[in-house]
Amino acid sequence: MENKKENIRRPGTRRLVQLYAALLYNANLKGFIDGHIYSGDLKAACVPGFNCYSCPGAIASCPLGSLQNALNAAGHTAPWYVLGILALFGVILGRTICGWICPLGLIQELLHKIPTPKIRKSHITRKLSYLKYVFLAVFVIAIPLIYGVGKGIILPGFCKYICPAGTFEGAVGLLQNPANATSFYQLGALFTNKWVIMVVIGLACIFCYRIFCRFICPLGAIYGFFNRFALTGVKVNPDRCNGCGLCVMKCQMDVKHVGDHECISCGKCIDTCAQGAISLKCGKITLKGPETGKNADPEPEIQRRKKAGRIAWGIAIAVLVFAVAWFNFIEPAMDQAKAPAAAVVTEQPAATEVPEATEAPAETGTASETEAPAATETAAPAAPAADAPVGTEVGNLLPDFTTDLLNGETFRLSDWRGHVVIINFWGTTCAPCVEELPYYEQLKVAHPDVEILAIHNRAGAKKAKDFLADKGWDHLDFALDSKEKGLLPLLNAADAMPQTIILNKQGIVTYNAQAPLTYEKLEALYQKANEE
Amino acid sequence: MTRTKMFLIVQAALCAMIAALLAAGALSLYLDGAAKQAEGDLFYYMFTRERAGAKLLPILPLFFCALGLTIAGIILGIRDEKAEKPARDEKLLRDLSSIREKAVHQQADSKTRILRTAVLVIALILIIIGILNGGLEDVLAKGAAICTECVGLG
Repeated sequence: MENKKENIRRPGTRRLVQLYAALLYNANLKGFIDGHIYSGDLKAACVPGFNCYSCPGAIASCPLGSLQNALNAAGHTAPWYVLGILALFGVILGRTICGWICPLGLIQELLHKIPTPKIRKSHITRKLSYLKYVFLAVFVIAIPLIYGVGKGIILPGFCKYICPAGTFEGAVGLLQNPANATSFYQLGALFTNKWVIMVVIGLACIFCYRIFCRFICPLGAIYGFFNRFALTGVKVNPDRCNGCGLCVMKCQMDVKHVGDHECISCGKCIDTCAQGAISLKCGKITLKGPETGKNADPEPEIQRRKKAGRIAWGIAIAVLVFAVAWFNFIEPAMDQAKAPAAAVVTEQPAATEVPEATEAPAETGTASETEAPAATETAAPAAPAADAPVGTEVGNLLPDFTTDLLNGETFRLSDWRGHVVIINFWGTTCAPCVEELPYYEQLKVAHPDVEILAIHNRAGAKKAKDFLADKGWDHLDFALDSKEKGLLPLLNAADAMPQTIILNKQGIVTYNAQAPLTYEKLEALYQKANEE
Repeated sequence: MTRTKMFLIVQAALCAMIAALLAAGALSLYLDGAAKQAEGDLFYYMFTRERAGAKLLPILPLFFCALGLTIAGIILGIRDEKAEKPARDEKLLRDLSSIREKAVHQQADSKTRILRTAVLVIALILIIIGILNGGLEDVLAKGAAICTECVGLG
């Protein structure tokens, strides 16, 4: 029994800090329940560790994803902000981030706890550790730059083709929720590829310590550049070091010496060193030092550190409690209190009122109205199915709404009764959205009676106008969503784009899914809605 | 073969089997779907909750078996003890002779402090410039919506 108790060791300070960081990064716990991601202003900030910003719990952005996105957009906006953030994290913490506050590091260490035969480090693993610089150069820098600046295509290479954090936290995190059932529709070759990569990396982590950190992680490679002069990290006292090398031999990372670009400052070497030469420091403050042996720190200092540690934990827990309360209760309540203004939900016209609703633009002759009147002349207005419930599911009558269009006109859904209406949710930063918009333009040219409204996601809406300037998608009606308009919540649009809602002539939803469409699919869906 | 070694090998085999089944399940769904789509079924969805669930269900017993063994292994203290011993790869340990010199070199001297301060100042300047040039909004725009291509959805 004694032995069993010894085997189940209490989690150390580092493990608790890792768990704390993972929880703090993902404090939007309600996201796991409702299937939506947090989309507040804090997403403009990056967390230091590897944490996918599409994880339902994530409260801030992933630095590596943001870097790729910034390099992708380097043609029109220089990526200074993200580079500055990375340099700031790097110079203050270096790769201490990897060892202490990276959720992906925690996952890898937990997987490595599974009792199996282990692969030990060797000169081969040390050589393999340089692979991550190749991943950094090719997938994080070259691909986004070449495609983004050179070809205008959004392509975050590492996120798209490799990142297991994105697959695990983002894709699996979202797909497990029944609310995102239609997200399954877009899964294909890309998901299969990423799923297999995630499974292989996960399996490899069981046998080999932190395999992703050591051989693949471009974020670790970036922080590694700062490790030598970072404020925080493991430092060696050369007056005490006798050069025995036990620290390097027992270290599970591919370090050549303590504190080099591979060192994640986990602090295991502090306990290993018989000379008491190693300590974890932040500037001149010792965070962890030798507590036993001939060169152990004096007892009063150890006690002072422990006391400071307790105070730090107290503050940290208070911050965590506040974050959980803020993101799950306070902020949602504040958002709910602000009623949407621009997207006015008009009362659903009853079946008998339809002609009145459809005639509005022509008869009123308001200059700011869309071309709906002309359309009503060519098609007989269709009465909405009186028994259809109002909602966004297939078979429901979509709630009526109005919104301002980018061309200065006003769109009102009920004005388009008698026509097939397609509502597409998109964003300039969403590659599949930008790829499929030309198909909508093509459809509108082929079938002028269809109404297509493309609503830009609230984030980055300011830049959408510039983005659309030279695209030539003149047949589509574009609208921008905002927190005040609240179009996306009104239409129950998911956070995953693109999403398309297709209505038949009665205003009944015939298709509603988060998935990119090809022209053939779009044409088929249009024909189906047109026939109903 | 000792009992510990046997335990570790069984556990390794279980983990490998689970991983293989997870990967094969996704691949088979994809291949079936691709074949259906090639036949002209435009709206055949390769992955659905039901299909994914059907592939995951047979893996569950193996998963719980591996989980049970893991818990038992941790309680009984079964682990690969070789992994905890110092590395003995000669090629790896060649550089150890200079380890103390490196420690001296690594000491925080005035040059390191100047470099650190300079990088810190540059980082702050970059952040301010980035906020002014719209970089902050770009990060928000990407982070506030699900990046479907990033997470591998599509």
